Amino acid sequence: MLAVATPEVLWWALLPVLFLSVGGLLLLTVASLVRRLPDWLPQAWTVVTGLAVLVACVPMWCEVRDEGPRTTLAGSVAVDGSTVLVTAVLAAVVVAVALLARPYLRREDLPGVEVYVLLMLSAAGGVVMASADDLIVLFLGLEILSIAVYVLAALHLRRIESQEGAMKYFVLGAFASAFLLYGMALVYGATGSTRLALVAEHLSATVLVDDSMLLAGIALLLVGLAFKVAAVPFHAWTPDVYQGSPTPVVAWMAAGVKAAGFAAMVRVLVTSLGTHASDWAPPVGVLAVASVLVGAVVAVLQTDVRRMLAYSSVAHAGFLLLGVQAADADGTAAVYAYLVVYALLATGSFAVLTVMGGDGDAAHHLDDYRGLARRRPVLAGAFTLLLLGQAGVPFTGGFVAKLGVLAAAVADRGYWVAGLAMLGAAAAAFVYLRILVSMYLEDPDAEAADGSTGPAVPLGARVVIGVACAGVLFVGLVPGPLLDLARDAVPVLVGS
Amino acid sequence: MDAAVFIVSAVVVLTGAAGVLVARNPVHAALFLVQTLFGVAVLFVLQDATFLAAVQVIVYAGAVVILFLFVIMLLGVDRAEDLGIEPIAGQRSVAAIVGASMLGLLLTVLLVGVDGPTGARGANAALGGAEDNTRRLGEALFTDHVFAVELTALLLTVAVVGAVVLARRVRGPLQPMPVVTVASATGSDDASATGSDEATATGDDPAAEADDEGEAG
Amino acid sequence: MENLLDGWGITLATFSPLVGVAVMMLIPKEREDQHKLIALVTSLWVAFVGVLLLIWFDLDHTDKLQYVVDKVWIDVISSRYAVGIDGMSLPLILLTMLVVPLCIVYSWNHFPDPVNPKAFLILILILETGMIGTFVAQDLVLFFVFFEVVLLPMFFMIAVWGGDDRRYASLKFFLYTLFGSALMLVSFLALFFLTGADTFTFSGLADAVAAGGVSRNAQLWIFGGMFLGFGIKVPMFPFHTWLPDAHTQAPTVGSVILAAVLLKLGTYGFVRIAIPILPEAAVSWAPWIGLLAVVGIIYGALGCLAQTDMKRLIAFSSVAHMGFVMLGIATLTDFGINAAIMGMVAHGLITGMLFFLAGSVKERYHTLEISRLGGLLVQAPRMGWIFGFCAMASLGLPGLAGFWGEFPAILSAYNPGNGVPVETFRTFMVIAALGTVLAAGYLLWLLQRAAFGTPPEEFADDPHITDTTKHEWISWAPLLALIVAIGIYPNLVFRVTDGAVDASLTPCLSVEGEAAEKLDCAEVYKIGHDDGHGDGHDDDGHGDEHDDEHDDEHAASGN
Repeated sequence: MLAVATPEVLWWALLPVLFLSVGGLLLLTVASLVRRLPDWLPQAWTVVTGLAVLVACVPMWCEVRDEGPRTTLAGSVAVDGSTVLVTAVLAAVVVAVALLARPYLRREDLPGVEVYVLLMLSAAGGVVMASADDLIVLFLGLEILSIAVYVLAALHLRRIESQEGAMKYFVLGAFASAFLLYGMALVYGATGSTRLALVAEHLSATVLVDDSMLLAGIALLLVGLAFKVAAVPFHAWTPDVYQGSPTPVVAWMAAGVKAAGFAAMVRVLVTSLGTHASDWAPPVGVLAVASVLVGAVVAVLQTDVRRMLAYSSVAHAGFLLLGVQAADADGTAAVYAYLVVYALLATGSFAVLTVMGGDGDAAHHLDDYRGLARRRPVLAGAFTLLLLGQAGVPFTGGFVAKLGVLAAAVADRGYWVAGLAMLGAAAAAFVYLRILVSMYLEDPDAEAADGSTGPAVPLGARVVIGVACAGVLFVGLVPGPLLDLARDAVPVLVGS
Repeated sequence: MDAAVFIVSAVVVLTGAAGVLVARNPVHAALFLVQTLFGVAVLFVLQDATFLAAVQVIVYAGAVVILFLFVIMLLGVDRAEDLGIEPIAGQRSVAAIVGASMLGLLLTVLLVGVDGPTGARGANAALGGAEDNTRRLGEALFTDHVFAVELTALLLTVAVVGAVVLARRVRGPLQPMPVVTVASATGSDDASATGSDEATATGDDPAAEADDEGEAG
Repeated sequence: MENLLDGWGITLATFSPLVGVAVMMLIPKEREDQHKLIALVTSLWVAFVGVLLLIWFDLDHTDKLQYVVDKVWIDVISSRYAVGIDGMSLPLILLTMLVVPLCIVYSWNHFPDPVNPKAFLILILILETGMIGTFVAQDLVLFFVFFEVVLLPMFFMIAVWGGDDRRYASLKFFLYTLFGSALMLVSFLALFFLTGADTFTFSGLADAVAAGGVSRNAQLWIFGGMFLGFGIKVPMFPFHTWLPDAHTQAPTVGSVILAAVLLKLGTYGFVRIAIPILPEAAVSWAPWIGLLAVVGIIYGALGCLAQTDMKRLIAFSSVAHMGFVMLGIATLTDFGINAAIMGMVAHGLITGMLFFLAGSVKERYHTLEISRLGGLLVQAPRMGWIFGFCAMASLGLPGLAGFWGEFPAILSAYNPGNGVPVETFRTFMVIAALGTVLAAGYLLWLLQRAAFGTPPEEFADDPHITDTTKHEWISWAPLLALIVAIGIYPNLVFRVTDGAVDASLTPCLSVEGEAAEKLDCAEVYKIGHDDGHGDGHDDDGHGDEHDDEHDDEHAASGN
């Protein structure tokens, strides 16, 4: 029997995946063995796991910064700045969602362990996506993430909306996965490898006489990834899913899934297929503009705040694509900065929505926000800050983020793209303004005004909203550190 | 010879696939799926990938489809579904056009592109070395792709957990679609303008859904 | 005297209001008196700093940026915290610092519904930071940030404290301005990347453009983007429709700030950014700007004649007045731009005053329907006379500030600057002059119907109708005094602005490359400049340092 040379493993680089997956599985095991698990334990466990990942990110970041990026596991996993940054974002969102989830589950009288298990496993998938240096690994990470999120979306077992949204999400997501897989197969066929580094190497070393197969592969990859990040015209699932799913889960979808999706997109398109940027950048630009415009305009027509934010997340995806289509280091850095800011904004906003949902998670109509400023001034103030951040008002993180992607697009001579996207941004600002108008300018409904002071804000939500607001303000006032971080995080391909 | 085998198995695969789509009885559809999978197995043999062919038969035809049948029979849905209803008007024809053009595009690309040189090694060229197919496959799986294999384990676990979660019934009845506050109809001026996207009624009304979809798309 | 404020005076003035805001945030909103006091003290403090800035401002070198701070702000995008004051921004900054405390005094005892002085005053102070910041910024990103900061408080002011139709008006205001600034931001970025400049500072970009590297076509497009952003804010003719709505619905103080300062952000943007950085494009765009300006003048005046609401009428008169300002700017001459800045200041003082008056009238009569008003001079004689005085100032009566804004602007169109088609502008001049006649028409008409005659029956014995109150006097007196002072001695403004305007036009005069196609720039410039002061001949080197006093005389004696 010949010995098989197993590949070298950098265990420290796998710590986040290990923490999250082992944490999830351990919780699952314990929960199925112990008859009555204390209510707080799963939440505390998830928070601790998330924090552990965050802590682990610090030495990883230093290591990568000092020793340079590298790959492990025979080149299938990358260890570089982007990996660590996105991992940290995902871990932070996991902590936030865990904090939001417990009061939500209690309020809705739902069973309480699976959420945390699935959340951690899906985060593990997200981390895999962010660190994948191989198309197959990327696909598996995406599937782990997605399948967990499909189930999470359906988790509100009592609400038919939740089931319906999850069903749509699942069917369309499965389609997207098929596209993605087919695209990967074609890229493999054209380049002879699934390793991102080898693909890039092959493409830079060879001039393809006929690159139609590669182009078809890129197109299909693009379709698959655009589905995952909810870019127009592949966004149709977003409003229904955002409306139906349990609100803390939506926070994860908006902040976490999007971050992982864009991390993957940047890895594949910009770093690996960067040589063919002139082929894929224009369509991505079209997707970006379409997303911003359609997202903003359709959001204006909504009266359900979750749907509004769903469409606004489509518009945000458009802005992120704006950074992707620039296809250079600046654009990529802008995308990462945007992802961090958007994670803060989305988590904070959906934390507010979680609180506002009330019993049955149903009070999400715009009218339910009437006069909130009078009933709950602090909550309304925080929501105002978060919405202004989403609108990209100066002195909030949103402005810095938008400015970054826009600058990247303009630097890449994408004037039309940038101009149209800015028009979309102006239209989107109207959406947030509608919520603000409702909160500040309209009188609460008669029954709501009768002595009720609005929903109670649980401690977990307070922490999440507070941290999100502080983060958004901090980035808005002192953008330097985040932008530096994002610039250091631009991924580099390392040949195995 | 090769061509003949290919053509025969391709016909088997395609008719099977079409059968899955067309069959009104889910059990029949599952059996058509078996036919497709066998056809693919033959294609594998044709490519000298005997191991894959065996796996194909054992895993897909032997396990997966049997599971399908189990589920179909356990859930008692082994009756014809009414496929006559089109939830969104004109959906099928549009889907057919889009699908056909996608297929055409891909076929064109592949037929054109397949002649050009690619980075891939020839699929049925000799692998080199004395070891057999299976061994090399195993080695590849546990060296180059060891992480992917491990991840597959995680993926399956997630899927199982998800299936269990979804299959569980909660105590008490399903909550109906929440009725959005009636105030919207009388109070706000914007609310009435955008009725289509509002879940004012018990939103599983197919017309409202259709509207939603139409707007979203 | 030693300049104690050098290096930090601007920062102090800009951000002091925010300190006041922070303090007010901590005080519960029931303690209204404390809020008012803090807001007033803060704004007075800012005004005091402004006075110090003026005292230590080197009036001999108004073309030089003073109190300059230039620090790295956002390193990654090469944006700097660059601020400074020169002769062009100083009058506008002082105007801002003057108007804000007056507004606070004015609203002292009558906050519009829903009262909530805490929120109202906080918004005013945030506005002040935004406005001062816009005028001092010397970096495009910083400018944009402050430009946007102004937007939200104003939106809320209209939307919360405004009239019955406030939602529509506030959203219209917000969306218009936001669309404009969206395009503006893109053109800023395009400018930055096309020039390959290493900073966003105005001077850096102007140098980079002058050094070449931006094609003429690109310059035109970039100027177009800025034109939209600034033009909407001004507002210029086709983009003006938000203004009457916003003014009509805004609370009095909101209208005053809007008219006195916010509109100037747009015109200031033209003279500070668009023209100095993109002189070539400015020359090509000038006829179009002039055309829209003239259309605005006539359209605004005709609009005034069609109004039945006093506030709306004043709003339309703003459109006309800003048309004069834009016409002055479009001539691209030293003379015209000086006139434009004078026009901005005068319009700020006068129209601000008119909106104050409209607010006071509304408070007493609870209506601004011109047809229902009348006899103000009988019921409230002092207020009536002030009203008459302001109307006179607004229509450009010589000896009052309005004259020095309008008349030189018209005159400057006789001989527009470098490369600008002369005949076109002379036509504009004639039309604009017609506009002044119309202005006299609508203002006198307004005065006659609102102030003269006998009081209508419904208000004849209304005890609410009192003459000017103490708060009104305090808040109006400075404005009235300045209208007279500038009217008598316009050099107060011209002396400050002239050097800076000259300097800002320097790139316009030294446009390279296409000199052959154009009229000789120096020559045209000379004519335009000379024309300002009769037939004297000015042999000063153009684009060089002018002798300030010499120049002032010209400007002052001109017309």
